[in-house]
Amino acid sequence: MLSLRSRRALFPYLLLLPGLAWLIAFFLVPVLTQSYVSLESGNLEQGFQFNWAWHTYSDAISNYGDQFGRSFLYAGIATVIALIISFPLAYYIAFRSRRKNLLLLLIILPFFTSYLVRTIAWQTILSDDGFVVNTLQSLGVLGPDGRLLATRTAVIAGITYNFLPFMALPLYVSLEKIDRRLIEAATDLYASRFAAFRKVTVPLALPGIFAGSLLTFIPAVGDFINAQFLGTSRQYMIGNVIQSKFLVTTDYPTAAALSFMLMGVILLAVFAYAKALGARNLTEAAV
Amino acid sequence: MPEQNRELELFFEQVAEGRVSRRQLIRRLGAAGLTMSSAGTLLAACGGVKGTDKGGAVKKTATHPKVAVKQLNFSNWPLYMDPKRKVLKEWSQANGGAHVRYVEEINDLDEFFGKVRQQLQRGESLNRDLVVLTDWMAARWVRGGWVEPVDKANVPNEKNLQPGLRHPVWDPNRSFSLPWQSGMSAIAYNPKKTGRKLHSINDLFDPKFKGHVTMLSDPHDSAGLMVLLAGKKTEDAKLDDVLAGIQKIDQQNKKGQIRRFTGNDYTTDLAKGNAWVSVVYSGDVFQLRKDVPGIQFIIPDEGALLWTDNMMMPQKPPHPYAAETMMNFVYEPPIAAQLAAAINYVTPVVGAQQAMEKVDPTLVHNQLVFPDPATRAKLHPYVTLTAAEERQMNDAMTKVTGA
Repeated sequence: MLSLRSRRALFPYLLLLPGLAWLIAFFLVPVLTQSYVSLESGNLEQGFQFNWAWHTYSDAISNYGDQFGRSFLYAGIATVIALIISFPLAYYIAFRSRRKNLLLLLIILPFFTSYLVRTIAWQTILSDDGFVVNTLQSLGVLGPDGRLLATRTAVIAGITYNFLPFMALPLYVSLEKIDRRLIEAATDLYASRFAAFRKVTVPLALPGIFAGSLLTFIPAVGDFINAQFLGTSRQYMIGNVIQSKFLVTTDYPTAAALSFMLMGVILLAVFAYAKALGARNLTEAAV
Repeated sequence: MPEQNRELELFFEQVAEGRVSRRQLIRRLGAAGLTMSSAGTLLAACGGVKGTDKGGAVKKTATHPKVAVKQLNFSNWPLYMDPKRKVLKEWSQANGGAHVRYVEEINDLDEFFGKVRQQLQRGESLNRDLVVLTDWMAARWVRGGWVEPVDKANVPNEKNLQPGLRHPVWDPNRSFSLPWQSGMSAIAYNPKKTGRKLHSINDLFDPKFKGHVTMLSDPHDSAGLMVLLAGKKTEDAKLDDVLAGIQKIDQQNKKGQIRRFTGNDYTTDLAKGNAWVSVVYSGDVFQLRKDVPGIQFIIPDEGALLWTDNMMMPQKPPHPYAAETMMNFVYEPPIAAQLAAAINYVTPVVGAQQAMEKVDPTLVHNQLVFPDPATRAKLHPYVTLTAAEERQMNDAMTKVTGA
């Protein structure tokens, strides 16, 4: 029989149990097995042997550096565009709108259809004989031989579109939480509306900006659907390589090594980003 | 010594494929001035036969007693059966209502192989009676000894097999396999977009079509066509010819000539007008013609590729006799005609053409389903490569396709 005190002490762990079990089964175990796989060498037909094959990592970098760079570039651009679109949108919904719920629903609505279907729909919208391209051509924005589909523009636009709600919703939440009286106080103290926005609203929205950019950027870096359907092989991202290494060429060690490097670089990028925004400000603002 | 390594590798593959006996192996290694012990280390170092060498000749015949047929586990590609599965139902009726578990699980050969490889290498049953594999993958399974021989007494209709398909290099007497369908990899184009008739593989690289050409990402198809374009026959081609072909594709891709490398999904690009010229599989052309009226399928002057997908029993099939009755059943000419009319690939069954009169008379003289001798003369098989060369080819191609 446990004493009351030790039962109390155990209780938090009991609450953590489902989450921990989930992390162990679906994160820790795969990470360990994949790190083992990444150091194997061989091929599917003759089997793989574990032999500390560190060279897989350096080979992967030299062979797929382009796709790595492209992934971060595209995801970065898409995140910035998503922020530029989402901030006014979230601001309007949080401060000005009387139909908050309807507008929020409209943001989430596309999520009721599958990611794949939405992306393939863009193939139709952007196709060479489609309405969009024809209009842009008649306006002279696109040359007569110009196209949208199978270009870098289409891939970045696709990523932005697909991840926009991940940016808009956290932004909305942090803007909605802002105590209006703080902004009133700022204007009472002779701050212009712009100064109040810059010195009060934006700093208080930082946690939302931070969360939104991470929720957009991280999955976007590893995305392969947009590049596959809206791009060409010249726009392929690291996700395409990993996908194809796992499923098409069945080069499991390289695929695993690439996944680890991707994870590592993302972690570094996130730390750097948190540092730049000032992690202390973030936690303080969130409280 | 790359040249010597390659020879050694080829030689070990012959061993693995059973074309060289162990005694010959030792004799040849001895002639090469190697002692027994160094031969052992060489074998181990090469790792070339691990997991493929079953320590002796693989059995090439089997006897499967006639038993009551209750069930058949059949794994096939999507869209490779008539849509209402009448053929399966008729087989089931002919076999006392036996149940067919028909699974369309083979989307990509490497992917499927990756899924079952470990079971194959452990010598376990896949719990599948029939799988349908394209020549080069079928060859890999035969090489690995992962297939059950066909009891020919149970497949008398094998006599209806096209003579040209009877002796593939990888299974000279069809001991393990029987063709399901053949198909052509060639070129389709949209004349409204190209503005002219096409007749050559080189038309893929016409600068006027820049950004509107798609090629298949499978190097067997795309690089195979490049070999033909270079004026070589795929029958005589070597790895170097294939790699040169891939290099040619790379140059064109870097110029922006090629819009995308695709699997079967080129059909969308052709249908939407994004692609004007595409490397295609013959069986897709029928559907394409419905989507894009006027689309043209050509067998270029330089020739095209003819491949075959083969029915095979993976090792330790649970219902081998049932599988053999199915093989026999689809080699009945009327059934073969019914299948060919539904899926539009090239049937390997002699007599299906006559039987087609009753099924769909419009198809009897269709070159896509029943190529005549003049057409057949322009069709060539995939380039035959060893397993190691196959990997080199795939590596080179994936560098071009960007993944």
